[in-house]
Amino acid sequence: MLNAVPLPAVLTLAAALFCIGLFGALSRRNLIGVLMGVELMLNAVNINLVAFWRYFEARYITGQTFAIFIIAVAAAEAAVGLAMVIAVYRHYVTVQADEIDRLRG
Amino acid sequence: MDALTIPPVDLGLIAPLLVVVTWATGLLLVDTFFIPVGRKKLTGYLAIAGLVVAGLVGLPLWGVSGSTFGGMVRLDPFALTLTWVFLLIGILSITMSLDYLPRQDIEQGEYYPLIMFAVSGMILLAQGADLIVLFLGIETLSITLYILTGFAYPRLTSEEAAMKYLVLGAFAAGFFVYGIALIFGATGSTRLSEIGAYAADRDLGDTNLTLLLGGAAMVLIAFSFKAALAPFHMWIPDVYQGSPTPVAAFMSVGTKGGALAALVRLLFEALPTLNAYWLPVLAGLTALTMVVGNLGAIAQMDVKRMLAYSSIGHAGYVMLGVMVAGEQRGPEAFIFYILVYALSNLGAFAVLIALEHQGEEAWQLDDFAGLYQRQPLLAVAMAIFMFSLAGVPPTAGFMAKFYALTAAWEGGLPWLALVGVLTSAIAAFFYLRVIIRMFMTEPEGEPAPELNRGLTIDIVVAAAGTIIIGLIPAPIFALVERSAVALGG
Amino acid sequence: MEVVVQITFGVIAVFILVAAAMVVSVRNVIHAALWLIACFFGVGALYMLLEAEFLAVVQVLIYVGAVSVLILFAIMLTRQITGEGVRQLTNRWPVVLAIATLLFATVLAPTLINQQWNVPPAPPLGTPEPIAGPAELGRGFVNEFLIQFQVVGVLLTVALIGAIVIAYEERARRRKVLTLAEELELKRLREQTSPTVPAPVEAEPVVQESRSASER
Repeated sequence: MLNAVPLPAVLTLAAALFCIGLFGALSRRNLIGVLMGVELMLNAVNINLVAFWRYFEARYITGQTFAIFIIAVAAAEAAVGLAMVIAVYRHYVTVQADEIDRLRG
Repeated sequence: MDALTIPPVDLGLIAPLLVVVTWATGLLLVDTFFIPVGRKKLTGYLAIAGLVVAGLVGLPLWGVSGSTFGGMVRLDPFALTLTWVFLLIGILSITMSLDYLPRQDIEQGEYYPLIMFAVSGMILLAQGADLIVLFLGIETLSITLYILTGFAYPRLTSEEAAMKYLVLGAFAAGFFVYGIALIFGATGSTRLSEIGAYAADRDLGDTNLTLLLGGAAMVLIAFSFKAALAPFHMWIPDVYQGSPTPVAAFMSVGTKGGALAALVRLLFEALPTLNAYWLPVLAGLTALTMVVGNLGAIAQMDVKRMLAYSSIGHAGYVMLGVMVAGEQRGPEAFIFYILVYALSNLGAFAVLIALEHQGEEAWQLDDFAGLYQRQPLLAVAMAIFMFSLAGVPPTAGFMAKFYALTAAWEGGLPWLALVGVLTSAIAAFFYLRVIIRMFMTEPEGEPAPELNRGLTIDIVVAAAGTIIIGLIPAPIFALVERSAVALGG
Repeated sequence: MEVVVQITFGVIAVFILVAAAMVVSVRNVIHAALWLIACFFGVGALYMLLEAEFLAVVQVLIYVGAVSVLILFAIMLTRQITGEGVRQLTNRWPVVLAIATLLFATVLAPTLINQQWNVPPAPPLGTPEPIAGPAELGRGFVNEFLIQFQVVGVLLTVALIGAIVIAYEERARRRKVLTLAEELELKRLREQTSPTVPAPVEAEPVVQESRSASER
């Protein structure tokens, strides 16, 4: 792997995934779609971390450990976020982000 | 297979944090099993007790400097003083919630431990010396705040605010970790000191720094989101308006204090040698923040939204201290401003709560009309807070602003100090408008707002603090001076 | 051998990107969620290729197993399943697309490709390279990363309690939640009579609505 695929190739893949996730998070109307975009972004970060770990310091663990922490945080965020989507839906009977706009000054 | 060895860990250095987290966890259980529904105020008192104990536990640590957990967390007077400020913010926020929650029919025991968890996240941000720790601290604070924002569920806007906050917060978290990942890739470490050593070894303009700078830029964007710096401030007014008032109060000072404390650490421990790159960017953001926040507040007829915009403006003044934290005056100004802003702002929000009746918001400017005749003491207290936020002597707000502006001036950013002075002059307009409404107009036949014990204590403490620090600032100056020494820059 | 790895990597990369692009673009939310699962699997495969086996397993267990199911549940519970005929992207999507493309093409990709990576040379073939596995990770959690490990525990506790507090049924009862049958009934009523029958909310927010309406 190390000789076959250069590090920038993996990192560019991660960057592309991050930008796709960014696009999804900013342009989806459906709140669940927005959260899916955020999950893609976090996955891209994890690819980065694992790549850095593998190419630079396979004997140490910082990269992998950080990736695991991010997975945990992503799961926590998803749990709270989706609970909130359900609560919002009960109220507004919609999950389209732009239909939920009572807060205007 | 060698045996597991646990490194020497000095729990003493994280004693306040430890007390807050353990107490909060214990309180969750106690609340569930021993405190009956309807008497949840008891949970609130226990939470306050916990925060007080955490503060007392910190007393013997004064003057101690050291790091533990393999250098992942650090205790120094800077962190300790901020810890005390954060605990104070937590205590005042809980005190003002005690009567607010039952009045709004949203009393649930989990509220108080959640505030404690948020405080623990803030303390972690002040103590963290590693990017992973900072990330987890910011997430602990944020996730707790998403939940708390949605707490006023009978009000339709609360969950909307929570949802908006969560979506933007999660998005910012994505940027934050991507930035950390790039920094990690560039330097091979997540520890602030090691990143600093890496950066110090390289000349400016070295191409190898590009990646580090890119990562730092992304982290900076995330911090700007959390601390409400323009142009990443758009969510603030909506979220503050929708969230329960004590939570908005807590958020306005808490996230700012926590996120910017972490930013100080990051800038001056990891990236001090690169300040030619970040200083102009941050200075621009700060200027924009002060202008946008204060101009935005002028147009608001809703006092809660006005305070939200004002909190954006104040983020700019806090940033003045952050940017020059390499000099002695910088961190001093930072801590002092956060403390004073906490007192004045929490007080102002407490007055808003006093005006709020069951399920009905009374945040319009008109609701303040003739408050002096209806409830003179409340009006005087609000006037003190408004004067302080506007920076009028002899209140503490004046001293804090003066301190921040001189720090920026001496730190080599005189133009920014001038922007600060000009925007303060603009700001005076909308703060004084509230005061004029309270004292110069006739009441519109509204009944006198009821004041209960928690709120009274809160308002009295905040007002007294604002005045006393304004009149006799010397002891606080001495405190922040001793706290700032350790941050060598 | 190298060619095999390169082809594998190419296939995985294309698979991940296509799946991700589908996640953000398909109309049907359920389909988006299924594509998301596919994307998670692809990332897991990439971890395998990078010899992070433990992480690959964690990826499948947590993302594919837990997060995806959570997302599918949320979609089911909010019942806006097909999305046919409903716009799925906001009006500003071309701007966002431009920003995302620019970020990738002008900032991220050139930086990453032009950076001089001082990758240490791989050991000669035949000698096993020391790679940190689950044992090292486990030791790290109680040693180097002890504080982070503890804080994540706190974080998960908070999230657990938060999710319960937010979605707890009793709390929802105070504001009259309708069952599916009642909701369909209401929807039918709304279609029959005037289009202005308000959504099922209690009186208080309506007060607020009229208030904000008068402001405008």
